[in-house]
Amino acid sequence: MIGVAAATVLAGCAASDGESSNTSSGPLVVYSGRSEALVAELFSQFSTETGTELEVRYADSGELAALLITEGNASPADVYFSQDAGALGAVEDAGLFSALPSDITQLVDSKFRSTQDRWVATSGRARVAVYNPNLVTTVPNTIDDILDPMWKGKVGFAPTNASWQSFVTALRVVRGEDEAEQWLTAFKANEPVAYEKNSAVRDAVNIGEVSMGLINHYYLYEKIAAEGADAVTAKNHYFTGGDIGGLINVAGVGVLESSKNKDAANQLVKFLLSAQGQEYFAQKTFEYPMAAGVAAYGDLPSIEELNPPAIDLSDLKSIAKTQELLAKTGLLTK
Amino acid sequence: MTLSLSIRDVSHHYGDRLVLDSVNLDVPQQSITAIIGPSGVGKTTLLRLIGGFETPDRGRIEVEGEVVAENSRLVIPPQSRGVTIVPQDGALFSHLSVGGNVAFGLKNRRSAAARARVKEVLEIVGLDRYEKHRPSQLSGGMQQRVALARALAPHPRVVLLDEPFAALDAGLHEQVREETVRALRATNATAVWVTHDQEEALSTADQVAVMIAGRIQQLASPADLYQFPVSRQVAEFVGDVFVIAGTSVGSGDHVRCALGDMVPISRACPNGPANIVVRPEQLSIVQDGAAGSVSVQVVGSKFFGHDGIVEGTFSTGERVVIRLQADQLPQIGSRVGVVARGSLLAYSD
Amino acid sequence: MSSRVRAPIALVAPAFVAAVLSLVPVWYLFQTAFTSGFAAVVDELMQIRTLQLVLRSLLLMVTVTSASVVIGIFAAWVVARSPLRPRLLLIIAFSLSLAIPSYLAAFAWVSWIPGISGFFGAFIVLTFVCYPFVMLPVIASMDISDPMAEKVALSLGRRPFGVFRTVTLGQSRPAITGGALLVALYVLSDFGAVAAMRYEVFTWVIYGAYRAGFNPSRAAILSSVLLMAALVLTLIEVRVRSTRDTFRMGAGVRRATNIQFGVTARIATIAGAVLLVSFGAGVPIWRVIYWTGFDSNTDVQWDVVFRSIATSFGIGIVTSVVTALVALPIALLSARYRGKTSQILEGSTYVAHALPGIVIAISIVYLGIRTLRPLYQEMPLLILAQVLIFLPLAVASMRTAIAMSTQSLEHVARSLGAGSMMTLLRVTIPLALPGIMAAGALSMLSSVKELPATLLLRPTGTETLATQIWKFSAVSDYAAVGPFALAMILLAVVPVAVLTATTRQGIAR
Repeated sequence: MIGVAAATVLAGCAASDGESSNTSSGPLVVYSGRSEALVAELFSQFSTETGTELEVRYADSGELAALLITEGNASPADVYFSQDAGALGAVEDAGLFSALPSDITQLVDSKFRSTQDRWVATSGRARVAVYNPNLVTTVPNTIDDILDPMWKGKVGFAPTNASWQSFVTALRVVRGEDEAEQWLTAFKANEPVAYEKNSAVRDAVNIGEVSMGLINHYYLYEKIAAEGADAVTAKNHYFTGGDIGGLINVAGVGVLESSKNKDAANQLVKFLLSAQGQEYFAQKTFEYPMAAGVAAYGDLPSIEELNPPAIDLSDLKSIAKTQELLAKTGLLTK
Repeated sequence: MTLSLSIRDVSHHYGDRLVLDSVNLDVPQQSITAIIGPSGVGKTTLLRLIGGFETPDRGRIEVEGEVVAENSRLVIPPQSRGVTIVPQDGALFSHLSVGGNVAFGLKNRRSAAARARVKEVLEIVGLDRYEKHRPSQLSGGMQQRVALARALAPHPRVVLLDEPFAALDAGLHEQVREETVRALRATNATAVWVTHDQEEALSTADQVAVMIAGRIQQLASPADLYQFPVSRQVAEFVGDVFVIAGTSVGSGDHVRCALGDMVPISRACPNGPANIVVRPEQLSIVQDGAAGSVSVQVVGSKFFGHDGIVEGTFSTGERVVIRLQADQLPQIGSRVGVVARGSLLAYSD
Repeated sequence: MSSRVRAPIALVAPAFVAAVLSLVPVWYLFQTAFTSGFAAVVDELMQIRTLQLVLRSLLLMVTVTSASVVIGIFAAWVVARSPLRPRLLLIIAFSLSLAIPSYLAAFAWVSWIPGISGFFGAFIVLTFVCYPFVMLPVIASMDISDPMAEKVALSLGRRPFGVFRTVTLGQSRPAITGGALLVALYVLSDFGAVAAMRYEVFTWVIYGAYRAGFNPSRAAILSSVLLMAALVLTLIEVRVRSTRDTFRMGAGVRRATNIQFGVTARIATIAGAVLLVSFGAGVPIWRVIYWTGFDSNTDVQWDVVFRSIATSFGIGIVTSVVTALVALPIALLSARYRGKTSQILEGSTYVAHALPGIVIAISIVYLGIRTLRPLYQEMPLLILAQVLIFLPLAVASMRTAIAMSTQSLEHVARSLGAGSMMTLLRVTIPLALPGIMAAGALSMLSSVKELPATLLLRPTGTETLATQIWKFSAVSDYAAVGPFALAMILLAVVPVAVLTATTRQGIAR
């Protein structure tokens, strides 16, 4: 039923193409910072349903942003699909995105799109504290509670992970450099345990190696999906009430100003925000859908319930400064 | 007589060092010219200039009347001179077979004519059975013969040999030398041959150039060179000699020295003090006190098999060396009479 | 003494073109760096942190280079002089670690011993990845140098180790310094190993400028520091080399001989070789197999694996042939017509080697999008980028080989009527063939594992083994990484076998 709805929407778009200069016969070129394993299937659904051929170039989101900035107006890309809001902000600042039509932007809450409507989020990831209920009785309400000596040596994190670094970036943006440094210094003094990646943090919490971990919400659901609910002891705790610990970072998409194929590009953006696209993210990656009207996966609390911190996601592009601060406080490198 | 090679007033420097100083040399067709001299006097440099691997700072080089280099200008590059080389180490191409090495300088290497020529020269050096072998499968002497065959194959105007047997051991040395000369003669080649072995030069060359300190001191036939060296340096380099003090007397054709008061000399020497150059084989031993002899105290002897050397002192205290048949060697400590045969050499410098 | 004859234009012209191409990244860096203004450049570079990171990079460079030289010489000695056999197996075993991308090797180590991360881990991984850069040219040099000199030294009463140190190493010195330069440049430009080991060095800020700062011009400014370092290193190496390898060795018609070995020495040698192979190639391969087997419910898509092998192989072959062709004139000039011009031409090809792959890739993007638009994101530009990255490897390997055959061979050829170009074709190049093949094989190995340039410049949809490994490791699917990583290592055996076969030619049997 959703498929039919989407097809109808898309057919409408296709009908309105007309002889506009914004169409070209070649395939639509997408630069995707989201990995092939996650999104290739969705892209092929789009091609099947619209007949629009896609040419997708997969690479690191940041490197693709640098590539786009270097290519400038000569870029062969029509659409940029990024893992992070920061990279979208950088491409926007370089003046390379075209304004999205309002029938797209209106689908997404203003918190989750560019202030100039040049990119929109397609899915969201909430930062959570994953904890082992056998070891933890009282969960922290704010990130400052984690600094309590009771957590000494009991908190896991993944220092090189982009989402962790986005969280620290948000910390810097909201509290300022000095206070962020204070928090990180205290966090470091509490002897957190560094892991290679978020899934390793999750597994460590699950077997009780550490009591709690700072990761994204969906890692728990990946494990449940793969191993069954019985195999998973760990639970997610959500920071609410606008605490920075509950940051929602997004993946998002924008259409290049230099695109000769803007109609098809907008069509793809619209497809990603369609019920079909949003369901895909919710079911396949357990991320939060961004378009109004599509429910989150399973028992996930809604975004409204989470009440994430108010932050302009474009401001998350200063990750380089975050890495410097993390290095300075000894949390990133050895 | 046609000249294959003519070198006129050639000088060459390495940095500030003068390596060749106004060298002149004529090489007639179908002759073997040896260039001898102590090491480091510029013999190899001269070959490099003739071959075209360097260009003389001054002077002119002609090959068969054609100017190939003149006053630091390379007129004809090495590959067009018709001058081939046989380097010291043979320098065979290890990636080619023996036949491939020999054919290297031939035109249309795959033609029947080329193949016949390869066979022909390999036969001349006695290696026709080794055409398909790799150089690494041959002994050092054989490698050197392949190098020679390779240099002879394209009918060069001049073949340059740069101490071609220096790397071979003594036993092989003589055999390979003889084969080389035979091959050069058999192909009517014109050769310029650099060596520091004067015996090799005297026994094989038609003419010998003695090079000392960047200059050609003398160019002569082996016999003339041996008998009439132009300077004490040349005399000392060609053959074994010893030197005693003396005085040139009369009309400059006799000397007074430890060997007598009126000993004839072969080249005129101005009156006055002179260095007398004596070859050990010019002396013979007689009874001590015999008429016309001078007395010598025997202090040592060396036995070489076919002959021997007696060392002694004149009454002047000067050293004397006499070459004798081995069975004539006197007792050490005895006194013998010594007489000089023929003419000696005397130089005022 | 080198000939004073002027270099033929047929060599100078292509070498000049190659040097100009090599300087494209430099040109791009200056273009981009100075768009932000000179003050910004100074400001960026004069930060304490920049200095600290440069020092950390230099520390890693010095330690890894020293260790690679020691290990590389040991491995070369085992192959060329010790009684251990068979030679083919030894070279393949010792070279395998070169086939493993540094990020994969580093991840293999960290996943085994998490505590190893940091300086020590980076040092270990980079040393094992880099020592073949020293080993390969030193083997070639030992094969071709005269073992007689070693016997003479022994007969003069030197102890075996003294002989090795003074005579064997003395003859291999140009090969060692050339290899050490490649190692040093590689360490400066590496990001994969230091990222996985979380050891922060200068490339962190460069990659950070792209990945986290989205700021290509900042990356360009920072990269100019590496360029300076490369320039200094190259000048040092040229200086060391020109005072050392003025004499030439024999024509290569030599017989190798082995030193007599006691039981203790034999056991020590075997133990050393086993340790080296276990840590260099063994650990990464074991981890890869472990990942693959760990999660056996992943079906391996063999058709995808084979397609990726074919693509990697194809790109690798073309890249290695082009690299060898482009490198040859430069190597010939450098070995035979030494002078200011040839040094500058050769040096130009080296500087780019200190730049991380992504900087070269972005600079080729900059060039391609402006001047070669029809080729943009097509194979030729990807090949071009890879050629620029691997050119120094090829030049170094060929130069050593050419410099080792004596010049009197070329004089003989000239005297037999071959012009200077014919002499190159009929004598110099055939004799240097082992070095030329080795250059191609090294380029092929490097091409198969190359990632940053491939990711940005490949035709859309093209998947190589390296991009597949990247794709699956990005989503932590190490079970899926396994088959591609193993295929990469197996594919590397082909060029390594070529290396092995060609380095044997120096020895008479």
